[in-house]
Amino acid sequence: MTDTAACFHCALPVLGQRYAVRIDGHARTVCCPGCKAVAELIRDSGMARYYTLRDAPEPGRVRPEDDAGEWQVFNRRDMLTAFASTSGGKTAATIYVGGMYCTACGWLIETTLRAVPGVIEVEVNPLTHRLRSLIDARRVGLGDLLATLARLGYRPQPLAPESKATPELSEQRTALKRLLVASLGMMQAMMFAVALYAGEFSGISADMERFLRLVSFFVTTPVVGYSARPFFAGAVRGIRSRHPGMDVPVAIAIAAAYAASVWSTFYDGPAVWYDSVTMFVFFLSVGRFLEMRARHRSIDQRTALSSILPNTVSRIRHGSETRIPASQLVAGDRVRIRAGEAIPADGRLLEGRTSVDQALLNGESRPLAKAPGDTLLAGSINLDAPILLAVSRTGADTALGTISRLSDRARYARPSLVRVADRIASHLVAALLLVAVLVAAGWSLIAAERAFEITLSVLVVTCPCALALATPAAFAAASTRLAQQRLLVTRGDAMEAMSRATHVVFDKTGTLTRGLPRIVATRAFTEAADAETLTAIAAAIEAASTHPLARAFAAIDTSCQAIDVESLVGQGIVGTVDGKRYRLGRRAYAAPAASASGDEQPWPSGPSVYIGDGESLLGVFVLADEPRVDAAETLAALRSMGLKVSLISGDRQAAVARTARELGIDAFSAECTPQDKLEYLTELQADGAIVVMIGDGINDAPVLAGADASIAPAHAALLAQTSADVIMLGERLRPVVTAIETARRTRRIVAQNLGWAIGYNVTALPLAVAGLVPPWLAAIGMSFSSLIVVLNALRLSRAGRTDRAVAA
Amino acid sequence: MSILYVLIPLALLVLGIAVWAFFWAVGSGQFDDLDTPAMRIVLDDDSRPADDSQ
Repeated sequence: MTDTAACFHCALPVLGQRYAVRIDGHARTVCCPGCKAVAELIRDSGMARYYTLRDAPEPGRVRPEDDAGEWQVFNRRDMLTAFASTSGGKTAATIYVGGMYCTACGWLIETTLRAVPGVIEVEVNPLTHRLRSLIDARRVGLGDLLATLARLGYRPQPLAPESKATPELSEQRTALKRLLVASLGMMQAMMFAVALYAGEFSGISADMERFLRLVSFFVTTPVVGYSARPFFAGAVRGIRSRHPGMDVPVAIAIAAAYAASVWSTFYDGPAVWYDSVTMFVFFLSVGRFLEMRARHRSIDQRTALSSILPNTVSRIRHGSETRIPASQLVAGDRVRIRAGEAIPADGRLLEGRTSVDQALLNGESRPLAKAPGDTLLAGSINLDAPILLAVSRTGADTALGTISRLSDRARYARPSLVRVADRIASHLVAALLLVAVLVAAGWSLIAAERAFEITLSVLVVTCPCALALATPAAFAAASTRLAQQRLLVTRGDAMEAMSRATHVVFDKTGTLTRGLPRIVATRAFTEAADAETLTAIAAAIEAASTHPLARAFAAIDTSCQAIDVESLVGQGIVGTVDGKRYRLGRRAYAAPAASASGDEQPWPSGPSVYIGDGESLLGVFVLADEPRVDAAETLAALRSMGLKVSLISGDRQAAVARTARELGIDAFSAECTPQDKLEYLTELQADGAIVVMIGDGINDAPVLAGADASIAPAHAALLAQTSADVIMLGERLRPVVTAIETARRTRRIVAQNLGWAIGYNVTALPLAVAGLVPPWLAAIGMSFSSLIVVLNALRLSRAGRTDRAVAA
Repeated sequence: MSILYVLIPLALLVLGIAVWAFFWAVGSGQFDDLDTPAMRIVLDDDSRPADDSQ
């Protein structure tokens, strides 16, 4: 089972049956008919280069949905009024494309859709995952576009026409403008500064000097007034909320240097620092810009919620069934939901018996049986049979919506760790300004004509540049390093929290475990068939099942062929192998006649699947959720770093206890609601713990948002991803260790940087106060000090030798 | 050296025009997608379906 090949299209491991596709003359293995169809479609439309050009995909990201035939409803006329705007025979529609992950995806989509007759123009933006299309509605329908996207393996979703750009887009536009003003301003100011410095040594006419300063003033003012505005706004916010952060010293440094330069310009002072001001603003803006881009890669809340729910539903009104977009559903509607579909809204089950998979909602790994009258929750999957649902709550009112709100609140209430570095820096800046005032006062008493020059030297020599750069430079370098290690940092201050972490809390299903059941024990009860034969028979029959437990059998290569397979709701599945009828499922179903006698011996706990022939019980398979391959190793590494590891899960006590025992975790808590998880976390935090949470389910979203730092795997529910600070790509848990290690290294580097900056300032200050440092020497010293800080931070972005070995 | 009194304001004028042009470009959405255009030059060739599938 460990040597499974990865699917050529979606990169999931290929289990059981293999499918082959010929691409560019090579036979490629894919995992399912869906992937085969997509790969063939891509090949046949001449776009096989997609595979060589794309980034390595996250396993399963581009795996096609099973039902691609739901889209015809969007071809109706009334859909065009709801989801598109028409003018002059051209219809414009915006579509959200889920599953798009790199620029090659954008190319694939654009090229494929442009070949569809009736499509006038298509434009894909990978940043916002939005596709803007212009179509001729008489020749092609909206539904056709959606169906094509679904056939390519993406998860499209039509959006109501938006007149304005999305918030991310306008944020990026503003940030770009600020960055450009800062960079052009910096280049110009630097050029004039060189002229001024040269003039300092070789002589310059007073008029020319005044002129150059004035020009520098003109190019610097937009940089301070426009590009640096976010820093001033942040500083004001910080002071108002009494949590002065990084922005306060930054804003003071910019404002002070600018004010001193302006004074110098108009009153013929000794020197100007326009070059330092613009350079400072530019580098900080670059850092902010990169952080913003990383943040945008995680997806917005609204889309995260709706991607779990189906796009269209079958509503039943006055006895007739119509397919409508799920967004038009209201309370009181009756909806028919087929087996395998997601439940679109909270409601009551009216007709039909089925079981539902709520793993994403509450971490429960076993399907729950539902009978008429039971409550069903939006976002769970209907597994066995078609049902009729009476909708009681839709959209934000559903349990799913509540979880989403809970995570918003938790994020808001997250204990704010004021960065140690920031605190030191802001205190120091205040102290330096005080010293400068005292120096000015002191020297004006002793030698008034030198007071200004010396005060300026003090200000320049102690310029908080190095101090201000100490933290952001290190954080930026660390983010780059982590990105190489396939960890995307979406919030900068998570690094500080991770470096000081005391506890690591894991979710079980899908995080510590793979979320896939595995057969842990097999037993044959009769002489008729041994365990191996039974497994082969079961695998053949279960191959036709969509039940979550059936996936346990998918990894088994079987030589048997099953025919006449039928599944019975909440009972099991029946099929014929080699002329004999076998029943798989609950004990009572596999062999109704067999007495419940003597086989209840000590046995690994876990969900079991019985096999029988309708009369006697032949055997039993015990299933369990398999821990990830490197789970034990990762936990050991975390413990050796002095961290306390615990496990919280919404799954049943027995299943959680079993995983905890296997992995040697003492502290665990089972059957937790999202609220319980959040309380568990708050208790830990109340005892002074700094908690890193790792989870993937929707039910983890609140606790991810509330933890000091949180990590979500890339396959996590989108809601969990938006709540997390770090997204971990790949199938392994090991990156958790890398993340915490890098965070700790970052903190060491920050400490060194601060030590250097403070040490330099403390040494230079007395000299400057004594009037021994001329302003030009102070400027050189300041630049040198900043340079050392930046170079030291860059050490972080180089992967250490051990890290490379781990990554390989 | 007095030529500088003309040239530098001229340079600032050009700078102003450049900033204005960039703002206009950003506003009209030309910088909304920072990744795809770099790839597009590599991707867009006119290979017909027949070239690749056979």
